[in-house]
Amino acid sequence: MEKTRVFGEKLPGVVVSRDNKFMCSDPGQKLIKDDIEEHRLDRVVVAACSPRLHDPTFRGVCREAGLNPYLTEMANIREQSSWVHMEEKTKALEVAQDIIQGLVEKVKYLEPLETKEVPVTPSCLIIGGGITGISAALDIANAGYKVYLVEKSPTIGGRMAQLDKTFPTMDCSSCILTPKMAEAGRHPNIELFTYSELKDLSGYVGNFKATIVKNPRYVTTECTGCGECVPVCPVYIPNEFEEGLAARKAIYIPFPQAIPNCYTIDMDHCIRCDLCLRICDEQAKAVDFTQVPEEFELDVGTLIVATGNDVFEGMESVGHGIEEYGYGTYENVIMGLHMERLLSSTGPTGGKLVRPSDKKEPKTIAFIQCVGSRNQMNLNPWCSRVCCMYALKYARQIKEKHPDANVFIFYIDIRAFGKGYEEFYEIAQSQYGIKFIRGRVSELLEDPETKNLLIRGEDTLLTRPIQLEADLVVLSVGLVPRQDAQTIATLLNISRSADGFFLEAHPKLAPCDTTLQGIFLAGTAQGPKDIPDSVAQGKGASSGALALMQRGVVEIEPYVPEVDLDLCSACEMCVQVCPYQAIEISETTKKALVNEVLCHGCGICNAECPTGAIQLRSFKDTQLLAQVAALLGE
Amino acid sequence: MAESESESPSDTNPEVLNLNEVDQAFIKEIVKAGGENVFACYQCGTCTAGCPAGWKTAFKIRTILRKSILGLKKEVISDRAIWNCTTCYTCYDRCPRDVRPTEVIKTIRNLAVKGGYMLDSHKAVSHFALKMGHAVPINEQFAEQREALGLARLPPNASSDKKAIKEFQKIAKRTGFKGLVDFEEEETPE
Repeated sequence: MEKTRVFGEKLPGVVVSRDNKFMCSDPGQKLIKDDIEEHRLDRVVVAACSPRLHDPTFRGVCREAGLNPYLTEMANIREQSSWVHMEEKTKALEVAQDIIQGLVEKVKYLEPLETKEVPVTPSCLIIGGGITGISAALDIANAGYKVYLVEKSPTIGGRMAQLDKTFPTMDCSSCILTPKMAEAGRHPNIELFTYSELKDLSGYVGNFKATIVKNPRYVTTECTGCGECVPVCPVYIPNEFEEGLAARKAIYIPFPQAIPNCYTIDMDHCIRCDLCLRICDEQAKAVDFTQVPEEFELDVGTLIVATGNDVFEGMESVGHGIEEYGYGTYENVIMGLHMERLLSSTGPTGGKLVRPSDKKEPKTIAFIQCVGSRNQMNLNPWCSRVCCMYALKYARQIKEKHPDANVFIFYIDIRAFGKGYEEFYEIAQSQYGIKFIRGRVSELLEDPETKNLLIRGEDTLLTRPIQLEADLVVLSVGLVPRQDAQTIATLLNISRSADGFFLEAHPKLAPCDTTLQGIFLAGTAQGPKDIPDSVAQGKGASSGALALMQRGVVEIEPYVPEVDLDLCSACEMCVQVCPYQAIEISETTKKALVNEVLCHGCGICNAECPTGAIQLRSFKDTQLLAQVAALLGE
Repeated sequence: MAESESESPSDTNPEVLNLNEVDQAFIKEIVKAGGENVFACYQCGTCTAGCPAGWKTAFKIRTILRKSILGLKKEVISDRAIWNCTTCYTCYDRCPRDVRPTEVIKTIRNLAVKGGYMLDSHKAVSHFALKMGHAVPINEQFAEQREALGLARLPPNASSDKKAIKEFQKIAKRTGFKGLVDFEEEETPE
């Protein structure tokens, strides 16, 4: 450190060079402030860690000392030198010195910049009407701001509506969900858009313009929910809400507590026999086949993405995962959500546990954990965080209904990490007689006569291969990103992490933010989560949105390009390469014009411009070339 | 009391594993020689349970991987069971962590041979190869049948080519294979 300090001191233009172990601490900051005042400094270089975290700190220091905050730079000698060259200390020192030297030259060319303030529209668009979206919507609406809650399916409620019970308290899921749904449905500040999708988004923080498409239900709001239309409909198709274990009609309501309580005609399957129309015309006159998609333009200041997840359903041509265990081939191999519906008193069997092949009560039931999860073979390397708990829940529910049932859970590790979860697991072990086998199932074969399943695995605690004949096998499949995640990512211009879920701005310090200001993330759209974590993240996202709306204005970073009108030839290359549609050719000057609020400061235009007319502030050619020259020792 | 202070339980009970006394280098050797993913193993047992040899014999892949990771070199390489693997690659196919257990077993076998643990039967086969130019040399019955059919007693491969056998032995000597299988010079054919 001392060597680096001395090196800095000798660089041309450097007045004072100091060394402090914690420059970001209050005493460290004071050091800089005092030096600026004492030596009348007009540029500051801080050689430390990443500017991503501490740029705001040191800009603040400069501002307080009366220096324009954009006349400071951070030399990141941590990530760019000491961490990457840990094994070669001497060379690391050289690299650090080079980085510092480059920035000392660059700051000489920096220009003072001013931030801009733009107003924030006091409304929030929430995409996804599951429990995450609903709770975030209620928070924001209760704070007095307008919420548009957009849901793709005919009702809000999401995945939680399908659940029978919730771990670890064994609360009836719909008993705790439906009051929230009802509250969201009748809240004066919440406008529901069900059976609707986001079609387009433009604008920037505080000033987004969203286009919502409301798909035709072919049933108007006159619908009383009487259900007379259902018996007359002749079309039977698999019921998604029941995970295909039951049928529904082409005119349907997903579940009795649906909000809005309005029927929907599934036009992909409707045969237009018009029997529903005839019967409804005798009463509410709500069936209307003339409906067309409707578009709505919404002005919103903030956005919350709470689009949820899909459930792992195997991957073609991989040979691991659910195919490995005969799912889809063996009748008595089912997935977690099937068990949920089979155990639900509102489910297709009224809560009576039967197995698919013969509708008889299974006596020996085996759960296989981590199916498709924690797998490096082109499947999902992550832990889905809910499968251990739901398997424990089902196992306990089965034992409660059928104390004589033999329930086995084949696991690799049991992860019961939430509040009250370990206790739930302990009770499953101590009071329910569920047998836990530590070992992953290696193969599963079906007896073609009995349709029973022969499971082979290893009890790794006994170090013995074991086998078990089960009547029913439940695959504890994990959570995966939604199939349409990329559509949303493209529409909103947000990123996805390697696992395919939406990427947060910082894994620790900004888990509810995206890299786009004003767009927040919540729930399983960001990564696998249980209900409490989803609700918590929904609250985090709503608090982020509220903070912006409450203040009413937002500062925009001044890292935007400026155009030298003399050099600009209006070739439009910058217009074409700009990923944010922030540049246009001005009607008046006939030259490139940058919309400073749409611009994200990526600098692509700067690189593309053939005449050098467009220059990104603080990354201008003069500034960067000075830095490069110093780095090369010229 | 005094006794228990001076002696650790592992001194008196071989069942107790003293992790300070294991061979730390062993797993590194395995990683270097072809088992690069071995540390990814989370001991799920998919390999053992799907192993045809595992169902019939004392060969338990997961346990071998565990012992290897912990550094129980002698126990692993002296275990006759490591030779029961048929290299059918079922474990390789099914392993969710891409540990490639078959490759690890093959690596362990090489290290076992290097460490002086080779089955007598394997040595015997090697002796045949070095001595007669063929791992499964022709027996008296077939030699007579060949003769009866008007053919040479020995087939036209390395078995009938003394020069080839000599060269083979030279290679075996240079590579150290001769030493591994305890092949003595005087066993050379006339």
